[in-house]
Amino acid sequence: MIGRFRKILGSLRPEFYHRSSEHLDPYFTFTDYRKIWGIGIFLLAATALLPLMVVTIIYYQLIQKSVDSELILRTERVTSNARRAVTFFLEERLNALRFTVNEIDYDQLTNPDHLAELLRNLKLGFGGLTDLSVISHLGIQVAYAGPFKLEGKNYSKQAWFVECQKYNFYVSEIFRGYRDLPHIIIAVKSFRPDGTHFILRATLETERLIQTLSSYETGEHADIILVSRAGIIQTPSKYYGDIFEKMALPVPDYSPRTETVMAIDGQRRSIITGYAFISTQIADTPFILMVIKQKAKMMGVWLELRSKINWFVGFAILVIIFVVAITCTFMVNKLYLADKAKAEAMAVMEQNSQLASIGQLAAGVAHEINNPLALINETAGYVKDLFIIKEQYSKDDELLENIDYILEAVARCGTITRQLLGFARKFDVKIQRVNLNEVISDVLVFHNKEAEYRNVNVFVDISKDIPEIETDRGKLQQVLLNLVNNAFQAVDNGCNLDITALPEGVNKVSITISDNGCGMPEENLTKIFEPFFTTKERGKGTGLGLTITYGLVKKLHGNISVKSRENEGTAFIITLPIHLQEEMRKDENSFGR
Amino acid sequence: MKQYDLLIVDDEQRFADMLARRLNLRGCNCDVCYNGREALNILKRKKLDLILLDLHLPDIYGTEVLTRIRKYDESTPVIIVTGHGTEKDRRECMQQGAYAFMHKPVGIDELMTILAEIGEMSA
Repeated sequence: MIGRFRKILGSLRPEFYHRSSEHLDPYFTFTDYRKIWGIGIFLLAATALLPLMVVTIIYYQLIQKSVDSELILRTERVTSNARRAVTFFLEERLNALRFTVNEIDYDQLTNPDHLAELLRNLKLGFGGLTDLSVISHLGIQVAYAGPFKLEGKNYSKQAWFVECQKYNFYVSEIFRGYRDLPHIIIAVKSFRPDGTHFILRATLETERLIQTLSSYETGEHADIILVSRAGIIQTPSKYYGDIFEKMALPVPDYSPRTETVMAIDGQRRSIITGYAFISTQIADTPFILMVIKQKAKMMGVWLELRSKINWFVGFAILVIIFVVAITCTFMVNKLYLADKAKAEAMAVMEQNSQLASIGQLAAGVAHEINNPLALINETAGYVKDLFIIKEQYSKDDELLENIDYILEAVARCGTITRQLLGFARKFDVKIQRVNLNEVISDVLVFHNKEAEYRNVNVFVDISKDIPEIETDRGKLQQVLLNLVNNAFQAVDNGCNLDITALPEGVNKVSITISDNGCGMPEENLTKIFEPFFTTKERGKGTGLGLTITYGLVKKLHGNISVKSRENEGTAFIITLPIHLQEEMRKDENSFGR
Repeated sequence: MKQYDLLIVDDEQRFADMLARRLNLRGCNCDVCYNGREALNILKRKKLDLILLDLHLPDIYGTEVLTRIRKYDESTPVIIVTGHGTEKDRRECMQQGAYAFMHKPVGIDELMTILAEIGEMSA
């Protein structure tokens, strides 16, 4: 099962992924198709996806911003309204007490019946009042109306009494009283005609205040509470702690205005907090109003939309990557196949050219041999003639001399044949130590006669610093032969051909073959190594000579370049490594094979 | 047998000498020269029966020598004897009026046959 799956996967893999034709490598235009493929996919995907991502991110940020500012505005409005309500609640009651102490004199107030009457009236007017008491300037409760018997109690040491004396008014935090019900104390100080003062104190139930607050609650996930300045929760909270306990959020910094801030709560929820320090026109209060909204819950609709968009964008990205990968694989594979076809054609061409040049060589050699053979023929024929026609063959010096001629001519043939055989052997792909001087001489042997007839001056200048180089002798010889052939075709009779070789750096040599022949226009320079490019008459040149030369130089890990000026001449410069084996090893390592 | 006056033109000196000796042994009277210019000079002062002409001469190419010969001498037979002859050379020479186009090495008997042919024609 797994084997079959692998087989299917393997057949899906593009051809360039498992290229096997290593013998064609030197003819390929591009070497690393996997890299081209990778870069192609990356670039195409990046180009396609980047705008999509950027637009999505900008869209999210814009929406986020507008949603945030809308939430802040709404929270601020609720906070502001609730603040007014709480302030009014306290202010109304403080004003009622102030009106009472200003309107009714001390003696009447201390009359228990009158005070009880007053409490009744205030309860009718405002509701939520538990008791009313009058405290003398010494802190002794002189009159009390309410459910507890508290007359005569001494408040002089209590904090609220001290504070009320100091500031004329007092509003307490919410606390549990004798009946274990949360309530607030408010007190107002007033002066008597004799200059002493007294305090009228009232205990308020908190139920109304809580009702007022909860009427401002908007939705499930909002919390409106009062906290003391020390952070103790004063009214019931849904999410941030029990009443009279420390609030689970930090106490905000003081501000005279309504403020709204974004924050993260203890449970890592994003929240929007509106707060206001409650302060009446008459007196400061210890309360901070806090409106806390959970952002995530408020943004439910938007978040749902965002998740839909996310799904859509995710799907779009997958589709784009899929299409890009398929397209890229298809294109790179096509490129690979085209390149492979070209490489195969080039390999065949090079082989053909090698065969053709061997043929040419053989023909040339045969021609060269004809002259010495003719001499052998005539000399041997003459010897035979001497034997037949003259009878004085014994002890004949002339005979001996002529036999020497024959031997000499045979030796000449031998030299040529040896050279031919040597040249043939040089097509082996083995690396050997090569003396440049020898190779160049070997190549020039084939042009000696032509140079002589056409009066072409061949100058060879090999620097003495050039060591023997390790390379493929046959290929180097063919490269030089091709270039020398070209030069001979380009020059007129009487022109010069220079072959120079110089060391280049430590590891390379450069060989320059230059002539002062017809040269070529600049626009041809870039094309001369292209296959089938020729400046010769139709049918005269194949346009493959320099392509093959180029391929051979590359095989030798070298470089070939050309400089030329029309009517001034052409120079081909070949740079070759001194140690081919080393270069090949380096190459193998870098390909990680 | 008639004594033929021959000129051998070949830059391969030893070959030319040797061929001359062999032909002389066969009753010919051979002159030898090693380049085109000399050949043309000899032709100007001497009437010949046959010229054996190489193509690859150091000064003037064989076909050119033939062309110049034909300018003032239309009749003397010229046999091209070459080591490097191409088909193009052969065609050109035959057009210029060469009697034969032979590749080295040349058999002496073959040469003698041609000589006999020429003798018969001129007789």
